[in-house]
Amino acid sequence: MEILVCIKQVPDDSVNVKMNPATGAPDLSNITPIVNAFDTYALEMATRLKEAVGGTITVVCVGPDKAKDAIKTCLAVGASNGFIVKDEVTDTISTADALAKAVAKIEEAQGVKFDLIFCGKETTDCASGQVGTMLAANLDVPVIPNLVDIEAIDGGISAKQETEEGYNVVEAATPCVVTVTKPAYDPRYPTIKSKMAARKIPIGELEVGGVAAAAVSVVANAEPPKKEAGIKIQEETIGDSMAKAIAMMKEAKVF
Amino acid sequence: MSAYGKVTPEIVEKFKEIAPGRVYVGEEINDDFTHDEMSIYGKAVPEAVVDAMTTEEISAVMKICYENAIPVTPRGAGTGLVGASVPIAGGIVINTTKMNKILEYDLNNFVVKIQPGVLLNDLAEDCVSRGLMYPPDPGEKFATVGGNVSTNAGGMRACKYGATRDYVRAMTVVLPNGEIVKFGSTVSKTSSGYSLVNLMVGSEGTLGIITELTLKIIPAPKEVISLVMPFEDLASCISTVPLFKKNHLDPQALEFMERAIVEKSEKYVGKAVYPKVLDGVEAGAYLLVTFDGKDMDELEVIMEEASEIALENGAIDVIVADTPPKIKDVWAARSSFLEAIKAETHWKDGLELLDECDVVVPLDQIAPYVEYVYGVGERMGLQVESFGHAGDGNLHIYVIGDDQISVAEFKEKADAFFDEIYPEASRVGGLVSGEHAIGSGKLDYLAQAEGATNMDLMLGIKKVFDPKLIMNPGKVCYKL
Repeated sequence: MEILVCIKQVPDDSVNVKMNPATGAPDLSNITPIVNAFDTYALEMATRLKEAVGGTITVVCVGPDKAKDAIKTCLAVGASNGFIVKDEVTDTISTADALAKAVAKIEEAQGVKFDLIFCGKETTDCASGQVGTMLAANLDVPVIPNLVDIEAIDGGISAKQETEEGYNVVEAATPCVVTVTKPAYDPRYPTIKSKMAARKIPIGELEVGGVAAAAVSVVANAEPPKKEAGIKIQEETIGDSMAKAIAMMKEAKVF
Repeated sequence: MSAYGKVTPEIVEKFKEIAPGRVYVGEEINDDFTHDEMSIYGKAVPEAVVDAMTTEEISAVMKICYENAIPVTPRGAGTGLVGASVPIAGGIVINTTKMNKILEYDLNNFVVKIQPGVLLNDLAEDCVSRGLMYPPDPGEKFATVGGNVSTNAGGMRACKYGATRDYVRAMTVVLPNGEIVKFGSTVSKTSSGYSLVNLMVGSEGTLGIITELTLKIIPAPKEVISLVMPFEDLASCISTVPLFKKNHLDPQALEFMERAIVEKSEKYVGKAVYPKVLDGVEAGAYLLVTFDGKDMDELEVIMEEASEIALENGAIDVIVADTPPKIKDVWAARSSFLEAIKAETHWKDGLELLDECDVVVPLDQIAPYVEYVYGVGERMGLQVESFGHAGDGNLHIYVIGDDQISVAEFKEKADAFFDEIYPEASRVGGLVSGEHAIGSGKLDYLAQAEGATNMDLMLGIKKVFDPKLIMNPGKVCYKL
């Protein structure tokens, strides 16, 4: 199976980001860039599928030159080829357009047709969750969002799609796009051997040109409101405390 | 032993004038102030607890205690493991956790001035947000830095950067008679008489109360990488340890852990990241190594050299944690060992059936010593868990009582266990405590290891600072 995994390099989301008052934007200068967590889940799911049915995984990333580090990381944990798309994109429409154009170019360069395109369900920096679906629309192929598991079936795939209540089992013919949420397992770690091997793989550079204009512009950035101190409820009995808590929630029109 | 005075209602009133709304007596005293994290050494209820906010308040309280010969136990977050902050002679506890301000950074001299109740976690994060690093890195991140200084806490990075002592430049201290003094300075060198700063470091609140600290900081290393090296057995795992430095590599941290405790900890954390079987070979023990450097290119070379050393010495493979989330995950398992052990302990009569020691032995003695310790545990029918800082020979050994045993039986068995393993540590050239300190729990073993002359010297030093023996009585150098 020929698989493409779309990734994005994002700031490490495990640290607190502060605003830079001078620029009015988040200060990312001291924050390590990493591969978007949902994209790492997508790559792990793709790698497990590849290990089950055979095939090749290619990784593509739209981003600046330093995003090659993100691609290298992926080459050590399952991907065999990597491409960077250097066109400038600023919103989901332009990103999905650049990716769709890149798909054609990579297919041409490698002489293959992708059966399956994996995306993370969203990025941890912008969290719009739109690129995978837009990419499918641009390519005019089916899309199954929010997967937690996937397997190959005759002529396509069968996927477990997470819902609020549980999951759906959805089948689709290939080629198609899937977006991945957190599965039951964690992405694997690179080993010293896989890292050294990854370093030798050349990363292809692409400029697809004519990328759709962005439709979204940033008006302003704002910090999330600070959490207010809680209220301590300590009545004589547990029952009294419960009653007070419910009365307070009623007053605040929580329900 | 001195005859100690009592905290009378009149004295409580005086405390309340000094620290209004922050003096607690009788029922108002939270149970937390009666013990630390190792309750097996006994609980003790203080006559009063004073939440101090300033040096001057502590000085005023100390003057009253000095005049009335009232014992004073200084306390940080109470995360100690040897009973050092438990008021076994009664008297008052001075709680420093409200003195939690980071006062100022001096980046010309690379020091930070803080109050003693700042939590290690808060200081570490504040430094990181400024591109700086406070290198001491004890496992308990919610200890106060004052407590770290008072025990000379070590931690994971001691391997490359040394322990807390190496970062204490100056301090303000309230002496037992209430006098406020300053020891040390921001300068990096001193040949100026006895080092009073260094007497205070590791003195566990027995000489005076630290009320302000000036600590050395360093520019944060730009890049960090961690390697997990699985080995078939502990012996080949430990024998790899000295090879890194011999090959001119300088790991920031170097920990060893056995598979059983890794599995226990992963279960506790809820995430399994350590490989158990690789290429059909079962892993029995792991090394966790962290390197830091100025850029990734430099680190990649180091990573390759370190991996080659490990693979040649029997590592089954080398797993690389090269992104902040992965580094966090591989260390989460290591950092949660104590909590994972505590999650499965039994309690009897309000006491946890858990005892520990943190001996430090020469690097080439780690493997034989650990084997010896397991042998003693097995012979005595005790559950023993161990892990440790392979880079500096500091071992954490826990004995755990089952649900059948009584407190008295457990204590007797644990004592018999420690009576064997401490002398063995001394015999192989080790010391009683690497970083958890002495308190009341390890006093007998320190006395055994040091001998009468050394203990008399320590008590003599204490008496110069504290002639009435009111500062944290019965700890470190003499028994009540």
